[in-house]
Amino acid sequence: MRSYSILLLAFVMAGFVATAEAQDAAAPPASGSPAAADATPPATSTTTASAAATPESRPSGESWVTGTLDIGYRWVGTPGGSFATYRSVVNLGSGPKLVGLDLTILQPSRRWFDSVHLRAYGWGGDPYSTFHLDAKKASVYRLNIDYRGISYFNNLPAYADPLLANGITLDEQSFDKHRRITSVNLEIHPGRAFTPYVAAERDASTGTGVTVFQSGGNEYPIADATNDATNLVRAGFRAAFRHFDATVEEGYTNFRSDQNDSTGTKNNGDNSAPLIGQTLDLTSLLQSYGIRGNSNYTKAIVTSSPFSWFDVYAQAMYTAPRNTVNYQQYDTGNLVVLSQLLFYNSEQYLVSSTARFPHTTANAGWEIRPRSRIRILESFLTDQMNNSGSAAQNETILAPAASASQTAAVLDSTLGYHSNQAEANILFDAGHGFTIRSGYRYVWGTANDAVIPASGLITLEQDKLRRNVEMGTLSWRPTQKIFLSGEAEVGQSGSTYFRTSLYDYQRIRAMGRFSFWKHWQVSGDFRIMNNHNPLAGTSYKFITHQESLTLIYTPRSKTVNADVTYEHCGYHSNVTFLIPQNLTPGDSVFNENCHRISGMLNASVKGFRKQTVTLEAGGSAVLTSGSNPASYYQPTAKFTAPMIKNVALFGEWRYYGFGELFYQYQSFRAHLVTVGLRFSK
Amino acid sequence: MNHAPPHRRRSSRTCGVAALLLLAGGLQAQKPTVAPKTFGDDYAGSDQCQICHEDNFNNVTHSNAHRVLDTDPRYGFQGHVCEACHGPGAKHASTADISFIRFPSKLSAAETDKICLNCHLNQPTHAGRIQSTHAKNAVSCPSCHKMHVNGGALLVARKNADVNNLCEGCHANVKAQFEMPFHHKVPENAMKCVDCHNPHGTVRPTMTQTFAASEPGCLQCHGDKRGPFTFEHAPMKFDGCTACHEQHGSANPRMLIRSQVRQVCLECHANMPAAVPGESRAMAVVPPAFHDLNSPIYQNCTVCHQKLHGSYVDRFLLK
Repeated sequence: MRSYSILLLAFVMAGFVATAEAQDAAAPPASGSPAAADATPPATSTTTASAAATPESRPSGESWVTGTLDIGYRWVGTPGGSFATYRSVVNLGSGPKLVGLDLTILQPSRRWFDSVHLRAYGWGGDPYSTFHLDAKKASVYRLNIDYRGISYFNNLPAYADPLLANGITLDEQSFDKHRRITSVNLEIHPGRAFTPYVAAERDASTGTGVTVFQSGGNEYPIADATNDATNLVRAGFRAAFRHFDATVEEGYTNFRSDQNDSTGTKNNGDNSAPLIGQTLDLTSLLQSYGIRGNSNYTKAIVTSSPFSWFDVYAQAMYTAPRNTVNYQQYDTGNLVVLSQLLFYNSEQYLVSSTARFPHTTANAGWEIRPRSRIRILESFLTDQMNNSGSAAQNETILAPAASASQTAAVLDSTLGYHSNQAEANILFDAGHGFTIRSGYRYVWGTANDAVIPASGLITLEQDKLRRNVEMGTLSWRPTQKIFLSGEAEVGQSGSTYFRTSLYDYQRIRAMGRFSFWKHWQVSGDFRIMNNHNPLAGTSYKFITHQESLTLIYTPRSKTVNADVTYEHCGYHSNVTFLIPQNLTPGDSVFNENCHRISGMLNASVKGFRKQTVTLEAGGSAVLTSGSNPASYYQPTAKFTAPMIKNVALFGEWRYYGFGELFYQYQSFRAHLVTVGLRFSK
Repeated sequence: MNHAPPHRRRSSRTCGVAALLLLAGGLQAQKPTVAPKTFGDDYAGSDQCQICHEDNFNNVTHSNAHRVLDTDPRYGFQGHVCEACHGPGAKHASTADISFIRFPSKLSAAETDKICLNCHLNQPTHAGRIQSTHAKNAVSCPSCHKMHVNGGALLVARKNADVNNLCEGCHANVKAQFEMPFHHKVPENAMKCVDCHNPHGTVRPTMTQTFAASEPGCLQCHGDKRGPFTFEHAPMKFDGCTACHEQHGSANPRMLIRSQVRQVCLECHANMPAAVPGESRAMAVVPPAFHDLNSPIYQNCTVCHQKLHGSYVDRFLLK
């Protein structure tokens, strides 16, 4: 399959290039092409005619197809340690690969296009394959096609495993999915006053995994198959005028998601201990979700600069996705309804539900420049969303020595979120490279979440948000070689939605960059954030900080260049909670202290027959300590050596080493070697 | 409350869009033509610049998007592409004195941006500019867009690797976060920073891209988490994915903000009553009372609460 995809892609590329060549050969001379005439207006007396008349033209004798094609083979040594974790983290496999393709095609006649850029990376079964095409013809069209295929594999033995304390590792939270994301964008008459555009996007996923069927104090691992797809089509236009620009876009999405879980064999679940003398088991299950949805949306953006000292913009967006769901569940076995201690043999559970979620966002802002050194920026944002859902549930239980029990219920739900934000900033250019900013932001809103049964108690939660934020920045750039910047933000809240939300917080960032000795640059970045929720019953303290230092060496000769970055980070969180089983206070503490270093050295050396061989070596290392001590090493080395004209040999070695102190059985290490040929033109 | 039936609301929206299209069409027809700019003696013309700065001239006029300044009369700089940004250059051309020419890269960020925004202000990409932290922190356009480059690859970086390198130049700490074992595939160049962020600013915090008008850009690739769910998990909608996940990279599985799943859950579902009856105590503080954390079954919330992003079926997010 992997080889087929490489061959198919190579075939498409070859066909594309051949077609372009054929068109070029058959095309009339450029000067006679109407399209060429359109795109090359006659030179005025002040125009430098020769250069302007041939945008993206190639000098005579130069190839009009340029780029590189890298094809190779990767060997992955048998990973030591946990192969499941290797696949969850790295997931690169052995086999032939289209390592990379990067082509630029210029059509001299410019009959169909001015230029086409093609890029493709990671084909041949790699977990992330990308393809991108940009084609354009000046003032006629611009076409972008983007594809990425991403494999999501996750099977971490220690993740959310209920039996881990007993030394049993499970795969109950695992999945192996492949997601394909495609988008096609076409702009007509780009750069002109009126530019319509149309686009289509598709995001689709299929996969399998293991999930659990939860029933009455036991959970049963079962096979899981999912597939979903979101299709989006949108169209709009941009209208550009001298002091005014408007964009209107209308879109439609269509959503489908199916999940099917089933088992036909007896399953004792994770809890094998008898319950009141009875052993629980699941003998068969058919569980399926059928979800269908759609939405349309409208987006309008207006920007204007009516005066030289005043810019204004506004945008409004509205979307209203809705879903309908049919859920079916048939299960048999020796199961229990814990709340009634009712043992039963079979259950049918049907749910029909729907949800609708109108969401409106509007935003407006303006910039005023009353003096040449003063800028005032003001903006206002409102975000309004309301979800209303309804589920009709029907459950039938067949228990031995009892009549069938049928329960029907209707549950309605609502979720509302109304958020607003107003912000003002004033920027002052103090001269000598100094810029000072001072700003203020006020955020306010309300939220509610309710579940409303047809009868009985309504569960309703609601809260509000009130936050005042003061901000300031001081930046200094006296020359191009020095840049220093400091930024601070202090926020105070009257109330927030969640215990761990931002409450009373301070955020500081300082960064600097300094170039010295012609070829060296050093930059540093320091940031710290402190958040504190002092309310009784919460006592949330959170502090995080990162300090990084980067050194870059880039001489003009380019024979050697290097960069290295070191970063230290700290993360501390502490929040009180009541331990559920005994309602005694406890602290949830999370600490992380990390050291991260990365760097790369590139060198070009004269090799055999005075050919230039390029070498790269470097990688990264991460060490963390605290709540989850871990290490992750990724050293790498590469070389590219020319062989014959337009062909070079390349090779790459990579090592991945991952370890966790508390879950040593999840560690892995793997060596990967890739060798291939680079064709360039 | 809108009591209009759905088909009427759709019709009115369609009519609105059609009216805007017509209006735009009318405005298009009435678009005023820009009078050709007359250049005084203080302007030299690009051919004068070319004499000394041939490389830059060739790059800009051959393969750089700014060549339209030289060819399109609408911009009013035909034959003066260099002076569109560098200002009148006659004095500099005649004396070769650099003090007589404008270097945008040496101006203050606001002055530099003003030059660029002369042409680029009214573009949808910049509609959130005022809210962008770049604009507010004196990060000017040339910090990311290299003007005198051949082929336009650095004028507007398109390749994933180019974009990521550009951003990492200032955001070294974010680069370091991507080196954690569980991360979005940015270092592998399967993704680029601008897939998730619009560096020019958006309506969402941290300049996050939007999907389908106003929804979080995360849903571009994680469409199955969009909903709407019959029973929503509120933080997903209020605080977004970052309520529980480190968006760049983490040492914790599934990029969670805590190493243990139950920690993520219990910090909000803390079972804490309000200190003062009736006082706000934040939402979702109470989990079901029978959760005995001594039992392994209850130590990992997602074993049972599988649909924690939201459920179509069960109010407790069990299925």
